[in-house]
Amino acid sequence: MTARGRLGGFAFVAPFLLCYSFLLIYPLVSGIILSFQHVDLFGGGRFVGLANYARLFADATFLRSILTTFLLALMIVPLLTILSLALALALNRATRGAAIFRGVFFSSSVLSVTIVTLIWRFVLAPDAGLLGETAQAIGAEPIPFLSHPTWSLWALAITTIWWSIGLPMMLFLAGLQQIPGDVYEAAALDRAGRWTTLRRVTLPALKRTVVLVVMLQTAAQLQIFGQAQLLTGGGPGGSTRTMVLFIFETAFARWELGYATAAAEILFLLIVMLTLTQYVTTMRGSEAEGGR
Amino acid sequence: MAAEATGRARRSPLTWVAILLAAFVMLAPLVWTLLLSLKENEALIGNSGAALSPPYTIENYRSILQGNQVFRWLLNSLVVSGGTTIGVLVLCSLAGYGFARLEFPFRRTLFIFVLLGLAIPEQAVILPQHQLFAALHLHNSYPGLILPGLAGPFGVFFMTQYFRAIPRELDEAAMLDGASRLTLFRKVLLPLTLPAQATLGVFTFLGTWNSYWWPLISATRSDMYTLTVGLASAQMNYAQTSGLGFLMAQAVFASIPIFIVYILFQKQIVRAMAGTAVK
Amino acid sequence: MRRLVLSLALLLAANCGDDAVRGDRAEIYLQRFFGECGAEYGGATDISRVEGECGIITTMINRFNADNPDVHVDSNVVAWPGYPQLSAQMAARDPPDLVTMHTGVIPDYAAEGLLEPIEPYLAEAGLQPSALTEASRSAVTIGTRLYGLPFDTHGGLFHINTRLFAQAGLMRDGEPILPTSPEEMLVQARQFTQRTGKPYIIQSLVGDNAYAARNLYTYLLAQGAVIFPTPRTVRLQTPEAERIVDFFRAVTASGTSTRNQDTPAAIGSFVSGEGGIYPTGTWMIGQFEAEANTPGRPLYRSYTVYPYPRLWGAPVSYVSGHAWVVPRRERTPAQRRAIARFFRFIADHNFDWARTGHLPAFQAVVDSPAFRALPHRANIAPIAATGRPLPGGVQRQNAIEGLIGEEVAAAFNGQKSSRQALADAERRVNELLAQTE
Repeated sequence: MTARGRLGGFAFVAPFLLCYSFLLIYPLVSGIILSFQHVDLFGGGRFVGLANYARLFADATFLRSILTTFLLALMIVPLLTILSLALALALNRATRGAAIFRGVFFSSSVLSVTIVTLIWRFVLAPDAGLLGETAQAIGAEPIPFLSHPTWSLWALAITTIWWSIGLPMMLFLAGLQQIPGDVYEAAALDRAGRWTTLRRVTLPALKRTVVLVVMLQTAAQLQIFGQAQLLTGGGPGGSTRTMVLFIFETAFARWELGYATAAAEILFLLIVMLTLTQYVTTMRGSEAEGGR
Repeated sequence: MAAEATGRARRSPLTWVAILLAAFVMLAPLVWTLLLSLKENEALIGNSGAALSPPYTIENYRSILQGNQVFRWLLNSLVVSGGTTIGVLVLCSLAGYGFARLEFPFRRTLFIFVLLGLAIPEQAVILPQHQLFAALHLHNSYPGLILPGLAGPFGVFFMTQYFRAIPRELDEAAMLDGASRLTLFRKVLLPLTLPAQATLGVFTFLGTWNSYWWPLISATRSDMYTLTVGLASAQMNYAQTSGLGFLMAQAVFASIPIFIVYILFQKQIVRAMAGTAVK
Repeated sequence: MRRLVLSLALLLAANCGDDAVRGDRAEIYLQRFFGECGAEYGGATDISRVEGECGIITTMINRFNADNPDVHVDSNVVAWPGYPQLSAQMAARDPPDLVTMHTGVIPDYAAEGLLEPIEPYLAEAGLQPSALTEASRSAVTIGTRLYGLPFDTHGGLFHINTRLFAQAGLMRDGEPILPTSPEEMLVQARQFTQRTGKPYIIQSLVGDNAYAARNLYTYLLAQGAVIFPTPRTVRLQTPEAERIVDFFRAVTASGTSTRNQDTPAAIGSFVSGEGGIYPTGTWMIGQFEAEANTPGRPLYRSYTVYPYPRLWGAPVSYVSGHAWVVPRRERTPAQRRAIARFFRFIADHNFDWARTGHLPAFQAVVDSPAFRALPHRANIAPIAATGRPLPGGVQRQNAIEGLIGEEVAAAFNGQKSSRQALADAERRVNELLAQTE
């Protein structure tokens, strides 16, 4: 290959690489450096080594936010996966009706977080919300969704599930449509019932998609910010303060930039470790089965 | 089709009930919001249940149309999302082609370098990005809102996979006809990637449209607010008590463009996802 | 492709204009809280006809723009309190020209060198610092310089639904009977709820940390407790504090209080006549008074307001204030003159702002018969004398209020024990203050 040919190749990838290195990698590195400094939002810092990290591990508020974040992910991901899978299974046909329903379930995903939280605030608020009004109408006690520590977590979970169900459902649908028809014909010939077909044929075929959905959603839900800030404000009593909300508050309300960046690096590490663990355990599992 | 071959042409009533219930849960909040937006502000003070019964009015929408910042926010969101989408499509198509088809030193290393970026979450870079853009005086500007979106590696990964899937015979045929690399790219391969472009484009547009944290700390002047930030700023105590109908009307109004995009491109999303997902 | 790039470039260029001067107008950028109500008051300029913080400030700015065609104030409304946004702007070296700021927060920004002292603007506007009330002036003074133009002094108040109080037998000679001790309050609360079937007190315990903090501060100050022994330490694990938290916890648990309400819900409740007392601040007087003057509304002719009752110690109110600050940045002389002119306008219209319910910052307005004639001002005038702010040397007061409020609200709600909440609050605040320099 000629020298010009080689350089020509560079010309195609250079524009992106420039943006990538300057706008993503450079901030990543500078963030790591910041995390080793005692520096506030307005400049001027000094090197303090691992002091920020040490302080984080002793910070009850931060540790609680880690717990809250994981708890939320645990509340959301399994439910979301199961519900979206169920919807995909139910709506996997070529009829007009199914197409309309699919559209309905995907429609919430296009809304922004501010609209979603605004809508759900007025569904969940015990006083002015739809659920509150309905409860009062039938003489029941409205659930204190936004004022009780555990219920507010559920408020966030429900809002997030409602908002995010579209994408996993689409992924499952795509996965279902990849399953060749003869597999089902073989099962039908063997007189396999509906549930058996589901368990022995459909689900194993979807394994890759399930893993993909779980990994994507876990990484996404560990980063919850908008809903926590707008719907519950991290409350009540800090019970819905996620890690990203902690980072935001530490940086912009408490001005502790170095400390906040250190927290962000810890979150980064957690996400990477969790995603890798999920990937390794599931891939090793599928290798044991002989791979697909 | 695999769908019909599942042999479940008839659904049990239980499944129907479940689907309808789920659809109801899905739509009820949206309908509730619409109803709230159609009531007079005064009627809703301390009593949002009033939304469930007439009278209704389009007063709030009229107020919006009489010149309101929602339009400015809408314009900003359009420019930023559109700009980012175009930028991403251009950069990632070029880079995807480069990685998939061309030979140059360190190609494999650079590709892995880019792939590693997929693991980097927003929080790990957003604070230093804020500092960087401050030093460059790029806050409260369109470039300030568009540039961070161009650095994401997902688009490159996506387009590279797509280019790789195109058979090399096409390349060879075109080269035999004397086409240069650039012409090959522009006239032959690029058109073939249109479905991928549509998917990547729609996802980038939606993702940028709905981004919240970065515009929140970068576009701090109200004339640069995007829709997400603008609506958040409008949600204050006063608005929630004395201006609830108007607030909800703003929310509905802000959702219209994105629903239009969604309806127009729904087919693209579904078709492309079926073709390119689960690789 | 080329056309696309060109049009994008043009669009970007059009957006980075020189916004100091457009045409021959000086442009200044103003940022405030107080709510967004452009839909109702978008173009209004007649200040005397509007009510409420949001209405009045919107109209004032409109009026200023109308009266001063050679200056344009571009105003930006932020969600209360707007400090994360302001901090982001300052970190980006692009802050507004004028910002509303709580006086307790001024020391933080001033200490970082982020605010301009305002004496030059006062001089240009022909305003004397001595014209300010004692409370206002000391609230914006750091060392020997002034760092903001005081806008008002405000504090907590008991807003009362007199019709319900009458129904509960708690009115005497047309004025509400307020408790003089914690035990008395619980008794009256029970009486109220028994006779009216509605909550005695409407508490905004959700998403309103300022409410819980205000209750704690008020009664700590009343008992003469020293909250900040040094500018970098807080003391909350005291019998005085525990007394207060236990009391409000008992009130919340007694069935005579609302629960699970955030501020919009609480306001909605009070305005709909669903409770006896709503403890909030001076800023709601304007809006509630408007309700009380509208026939057919639940509060019609049923509203009055009093300072927080003395429950322990001395009758004291916890007060704070709003001020207009000028962030440091490059400015043209025309912009500086415009800011001075705005200051003059604010000073001249201090009475209008006082119609919201806040206490004026200028002594002359406080003394004026017009102010005294405003409804209920006689009731709340004592605050001018009994009001106490937090010590000026303490930094991060906004963040501290948030922390303390969060913990104490959890205790009020029964989610934490009083001891635990106060211990956690003390620990978190001390940790925060240890980081300041």
